[in-house]
Amino acid sequence: MGFLEIKQLCKSFDTTPVINDFSIEIVELTLCCLVGPNGAGKTTTMDLITGRQKPTSGQILFCEDDITGLDEHVIARRGIGRKFQVPAVFRDLTVRQNLEVAYSRSTNPLKNIFRFSDPGFVQKLEQVVAQAGLSERLNVEAGILSHGETQWLEIGMVLMQDPRLLLLDEPVAGMTEAEIEKTVAIFKELKKTNTLVVVEHDMAFVREIADVVTVMHMGSLLAQGPISEIEANARVREVYLGEAEA
Amino acid sequence: MNIYHNATAQWLAYGVFFVLLAVVPMFVDDSFLLNQFATYGVFGLLALSISLCWGFGGILNLGQGIPFGLGAYGMAMTMQMQSQDASNPIPPFMLNNSLDHLPWFWEPFRHTALGIILALVVPTLFCAIFGGLMFRARVSGPFFAIMTLAMLSAWYTLILDVQPYTNGANGITPPGALKFGDYAIDPYSPVAYWSVLALLAVATVGGRLMTRSRFGLVVQAVRGDAERVRFLGYNVAGYETTIYTIAGFIAAVAGCCWVALTQYVSPAQLDTTFSLSMVIWAGIGGRLSLIGAIIGAFLIQGAQSYLGDTFLNTWLLVLGGFFILVVRFLPKGLAGLLETILGRFPLPQRGNSNGNSAQRLYPQPGE
Ligand SMILES: Nc1ncnc2c1ncn2[C@@H]1O[C@H](COP(=O)(O)OP(=O)(O)O)[C@@H](O)[C@H]1O
Ligand SMILES: [Mg+2]
Repeated sequence: MGFLEIKQLCKSFDTTPVINDFSIEIVELTLCCLVGPNGAGKTTTMDLITGRQKPTSGQILFCEDDITGLDEHVIARRGIGRKFQVPAVFRDLTVRQNLEVAYSRSTNPLKNIFRFSDPGFVQKLEQVVAQAGLSERLNVEAGILSHGETQWLEIGMVLMQDPRLLLLDEPVAGMTEAEIEKTVAIFKELKKTNTLVVVEHDMAFVREIADVVTVMHMGSLLAQGPISEIEANARVREVYLGEAEA
Repeated sequence: MNIYHNATAQWLAYGVFFVLLAVVPMFVDDSFLLNQFATYGVFGLLALSISLCWGFGGILNLGQGIPFGLGAYGMAMTMQMQSQDASNPIPPFMLNNSLDHLPWFWEPFRHTALGIILALVVPTLFCAIFGGLMFRARVSGPFFAIMTLAMLSAWYTLILDVQPYTNGANGITPPGALKFGDYAIDPYSPVAYWSVLALLAVATVGGRLMTRSRFGLVVQAVRGDAERVRFLGYNVAGYETTIYTIAGFIAAVAGCCWVALTQYVSPAQLDTTFSLSMVIWAGIGGRLSLIGAIIGAFLIQGAQSYLGDTFLNTWLLVLGGFFILVVRFLPKGLAGLLETILGRFPLPQRGNSNGNSAQRLYPQPGE
């Protein structure tokens, strides 16, 4: 039984099919890289898993529970955390406040009116801040962070949630070599305790971290397997060579 | 970071602000003036409610006159029934509108406590239901603002139309002051002034604590990016409904106070202009600062009392123009101006500021 199973997923916007009969299975405690040319439907797949979009047909099972079409917050509470392609942090809150919002153990609005601190928050904060290297930046507004720092902050927010499954959409886009290296280290550490699905174009990065690579093309599964197999795959090369290296 | 953002300085400024307001009756002999100042407290409550809903929650609410008006009508009905007795069981205006018995929904208002509870619960419940429906359907931003405006007009028309029950455009004018048992609250007395001030202080401190709670933090996150908050596991509609309803409750309290002070309510309390004014008060004073918004209400209503006659019909135009200038050049209002000025000075060890912002209210580490 898979940890996350996507079965015959289809999604059309109006009449344009974007995801066509897409099925994959993600194994627990692995890191799966989702690659494919621009417009292949990677982000849309994440939207469908996290409830941002409702599938036209198909089924998504998480830990054997059907989560197809549930509300975003319900899916998040089941243990799926997500980092967006365009980094989405709360720009007018401080880094610490961003992480505090993300520490979403108590979600009831009425009870939260009377709650001023969360047990366990400080401990978790220290751990995540050390991991994401944000300790110097805790009290600055998130809006003034550099691009790389913003990416880490959003990764940090996902970590605060303590999700069992992390979906990370282009986490190293716009990062410098040094920053990418640091991110690789973070992900390798995370792999030991969490399951990750990472969308990424940077093949060097993918080679570095992926256990399994899934290639999407025009909303369908093109190939799946270890990186060596994928790189040797003739159809994958065709699709990728047809595109300018994205 | 400067003194403006210092939590202790902010609390101190809150204290100074309310102490200054509390001693006003010692210096004002004119009871009509004191009554007018007390009504400013009502405007302060309304500005506070807008600051919470719009400033912190990011929910632009142009229909705050609904809970205010419903609360006011509830209180007016309660006070009206206090002056009816066995020989004279129904309000005179009903007789004039050829009603010969008390309508069923007026019945509970014969009991003062029940009447006041209804005056608070009905508007609050309305906000919870209306807000719940809207936010669950993810109506937000300008669309929500328009819905509140439409709903406000609907209530206005309804109250105007059911003349036999509400006395239509003439409104309700309870003949006596609000009585608790044998004790009447003279609206021109310092007691009335202090009562309103006490409610304003409680609402302000409560509001400030709320913005510093986890709830307040999430609400501010929703203001920044509601979509993102959902993926962290929060039911955004629940948070939006809650802050909108709390703001509605404060407006209902303001409505009750208004009638206790003026012994009068009419559909004018649900007029669009009035609800827009509340937003303008908060905008000019500083919607991100609870006290800023309250001071905005004082300043503008004060100016209206003294300058309004000169400008008469163009007053709203003047106000609107001023509002546009503030929104354009001082998005955080006068409180933001103070923040900028204080920002010029490095954090000193002494003194306190008069201004406040609840903007960065959340506790900082080391605070
Ligand atoms: N909300 C939407 N409405 C219409 N078309 C969309 C929408 N979202 C994505 N698409 C289309 O779906 C396709 C896949 O997009 P996306 O999932 O973002 O690709 P990727 O992340 O792999 O680059 C694109 O052709 C895009 O134009
Ligand atoms: Mg994408």
